[in-house]
Amino acid sequence: MENFALKVENLVVALDDLTAVRGVSFTIRKGERWGLVGESGAGKSLTALAIMGLLQEGWKTSGAVWHDGINLLQASDKTLSSRRGRTMSMVFQDPTTALNPVAKVGKQITWILRHHMHVSKSEAYAQSLVLLNKMNLPRPESIMDSYPHQLSGGQRQRIMIAMALACYPELIIADEPTTALDVTVQKQVLRLLDAAVTERNCGLLLITHDLPVIAAMCENVAVMYGGRIVEAGAIAEVFTNPRHPYTRGLLASQPTLDNIDLDGGTRLPSIRGAVPPLYAMPEGCAFADRCDFATSKCKELPELDGHTHRVACWNPLTSSVKGA
Amino acid sequence: MSEVLNVAKVKAKRTRKKSRLPLIIGGTITGVMILIGIISVFWIPMDVNVSDPSIRMLPIGTAHHLFGTDYLGRDVSSMLMTGIRTSIIIGSCAAFLALFIGTILGMLAASISKLDEPIMRMADIFMAMPGIIFALVLASTIGAGYLTTIFALTSFFTPAFVRVTRASSMRVLSEDYISVARLYGRGRMFITFRHVLPNISSILIVQFTIYFAAGVLSEAGLSFLGVGINRPSVSLGMMLHEAVEQIGITDPLNVWPGLCIVILVIGLNLLGDGLRDHFDPRFSQRVR
Amino acid sequence: MGRFILRRLVFFVITLLTTSVLIFTLIRAAGGNVAAILLGKNSSYEEIHKLSTELGLERPLPVQYFEWMNNFLHGNLGQAFRSKQLASHLIWTQAPVSVPLSLGGFLLAIIIAIPLGTYAAKNFNKPSGAFVAVISQVGIAVPVFWAGLLLSLVFGVHLHILPTGGWVPWNESIVGALRSLALPVFTLGIVMASTLTRYTRTAILDVMNEDFVRTARASGMSRRVALIKVGLRNASLPLVTVLGLLAAEMVGGTVIIEKVYSLPGISRMILDNVTAREVVVVQSTVMVIVIYVMTVNLIIDLAYGILDPRIRVGK
Repeated sequence: MENFALKVENLVVALDDLTAVRGVSFTIRKGERWGLVGESGAGKSLTALAIMGLLQEGWKTSGAVWHDGINLLQASDKTLSSRRGRTMSMVFQDPTTALNPVAKVGKQITWILRHHMHVSKSEAYAQSLVLLNKMNLPRPESIMDSYPHQLSGGQRQRIMIAMALACYPELIIADEPTTALDVTVQKQVLRLLDAAVTERNCGLLLITHDLPVIAAMCENVAVMYGGRIVEAGAIAEVFTNPRHPYTRGLLASQPTLDNIDLDGGTRLPSIRGAVPPLYAMPEGCAFADRCDFATSKCKELPELDGHTHRVACWNPLTSSVKGA
Repeated sequence: MSEVLNVAKVKAKRTRKKSRLPLIIGGTITGVMILIGIISVFWIPMDVNVSDPSIRMLPIGTAHHLFGTDYLGRDVSSMLMTGIRTSIIIGSCAAFLALFIGTILGMLAASISKLDEPIMRMADIFMAMPGIIFALVLASTIGAGYLTTIFALTSFFTPAFVRVTRASSMRVLSEDYISVARLYGRGRMFITFRHVLPNISSILIVQFTIYFAAGVLSEAGLSFLGVGINRPSVSLGMMLHEAVEQIGITDPLNVWPGLCIVILVIGLNLLGDGLRDHFDPRFSQRVR
Repeated sequence: MGRFILRRLVFFVITLLTTSVLIFTLIRAAGGNVAAILLGKNSSYEEIHKLSTELGLERPLPVQYFEWMNNFLHGNLGQAFRSKQLASHLIWTQAPVSVPLSLGGFLLAIIIAIPLGTYAAKNFNKPSGAFVAVISQVGIAVPVFWAGLLLSLVFGVHLHILPTGGWVPWNESIVGALRSLALPVFTLGIVMASTLTRYTRTAILDVMNEDFVRTARASGMSRRVALIKVGLRNASLPLVTVLGLLAAEMVGGTVIIEKVYSLPGISRMILDNVTAREVVVVQSTVMVIVIYVMTVNLIIDLAYGILDPRIRVGK
């Protein structure tokens, strides 16, 4: 048995002649937690959907995604269905629309247990109650009997997480799991997710644009820009010594108490320019026209280079953020 | 998920060429039919009401009578042309009037909340009544004919336009730039015409074609029943009515008017579909 | 749910009342003097006046309205001026024809369209699905009566298996009645099925794009199971709404089909009376038809309330 939960090799996701994900590679070992960071439009969600095999009609993929002994990109819907929810699962962003409005919550959870684990109705019910308890949901019996519209956003998201964890998957992909929630609820939900993942030793791929969340939940991070991973490695390394100009810009633009001048003197640093639209993606490095260190070499596409701390850049930074 | 929306918008721009087919076909068919209708105002092979029993029931392809003659010796091709004209006139008039009245009522309902409830209730009630029944009632009191038919169809179609206009108007009115306009002190009427109307116009155009087609079908049905258009006017439905009454259902004479109706309606429907695809910037509904 | 039912019932009653007023006003106001219409164009002023007083047409309109309503609710639907036949009797004899025809066509349309529409949605990107979509597109364009004419041509005349017209009453022969109904129900069903197929296809495609279908698949449901268990069940909501619209169409279709196949149903009665300008009979008959349609609509709306847990269970 391999020792990884997920191995992505040169994943390309395209729609007709538009390539949204332009060659992404990374490996998540069992129990490892990776954050996937980037602005909207970088290709993060599409990567996740491609891994799960849930892209809509018309989207094509190439490359390989290894999980549970098979290449998911080459697998049939039937093969994928037996893995989805069991060995790999996903938590989506918007809890208001993610649950079936006409079915009771209990039925939606027990279905997963009965389908994958082949347990009896009563056994599934009992296990569901346990799951809901773990999610700190009070009165789980009443929740099992409710319809989604009778519950709050936070409750629904916790149910989604419970559903994702039910079968002890090797990998959980969480796509912006708390973005749509109230700020006060976000932290609770993240804590629960954290505890559950720790308890079950699942691999986690946490997708978000929120850097502090990644820092709190994960050990490793991959930074995406323009459909590619531009930097990847342990958070401790990457966040203190970013080597890609984009990563440095991203970190510098995070509002912290350090760079906020409460008298209104300084401005929050930002990266000049904007993300190029997909149909006008440049040939070489996508960040070149916004980069202060760009050279003529950047017209060629740089590959991810390095061992534990990898970066895709012709002119990677060497000094640490704090110094510069 | 704006990354996907970006891609989707581009896809929409790129694949528009592919899905232009319904628009082209529909537009062509409708255009041809309208042309025939216009021509028929100025020239038809023969007077449609001149009956000549000596040449009755001629088959198609006869000299001077391209589609033959009917049981009274009248030229079928002339009747077809005139019938097409009638269908187009009635269908378009009914749809247009319904559009006009319905849009005004719908926009009023959407912008003035006091009027919303009563207008929508009236619309619901009108929609609950089957259109044919309404037409029949009118026919029994006023008598059948061009105007009655148009009036009946207009009443039948207006509630639908009210619904559509109200829904789209409400959607537009909830946009941010409307609030900005209000802050600038723009009056309600101004906002309605300057901002709401242009934005819902594409939906209205599509609805127009749909109800144009519905009007053609409905008029044909009413004329077939005998309560729509009557002699000396000519209508495709009426032709079938006469055919069934006089010669029974077995005659091939039945085919042509029906075929004309089908072609015209398909043309209009395709046109409507094509226009809807053309106007729809939210291709992203289909794509994730 | 209780509140929903109550509201719906109230709407039902109000609509019926309003419609009755509407019909009444239309007939009286639009047509001019009822007596004049009944007597025809060449009647003299005295004749008209005499009939008017006889029928009580000189009294104020609201009084006449209430009298009509009162009579109606007691089963007295008025009578034809010339033939003196009771309207209620006429309607009673037409019902065994029209009701099975309309309901049969309705049910047939549902039975055909839902599976077909689902199939078209499932295969929307394949030729088989596109084929169904095109066929339904054509079907929508075909006028009901033309379809009837063609079908009776094929089945009745050329193949000789079904009667092309005429009616065998139920009490004479059940099989005979069924045979007389077969082709008409088939025609009505097919025509309504075209529209319904199109709507089903759209409704299912829309639902399949929803987030919760994606969640279901992420939980391990195969495409097929997700379509049926989650998709169809959720699409049933907009579909039920469409069925309500279809009910109105059903009446028009029934009237036309009866004429095509010469069935002695409600259509013949209405048409004859309309052409004869028998306004009194038309008034009551129309009211009956409206009640019929509104009842069907009511049932459909209540079904919707049951299907949608957001209404059924509430907050």
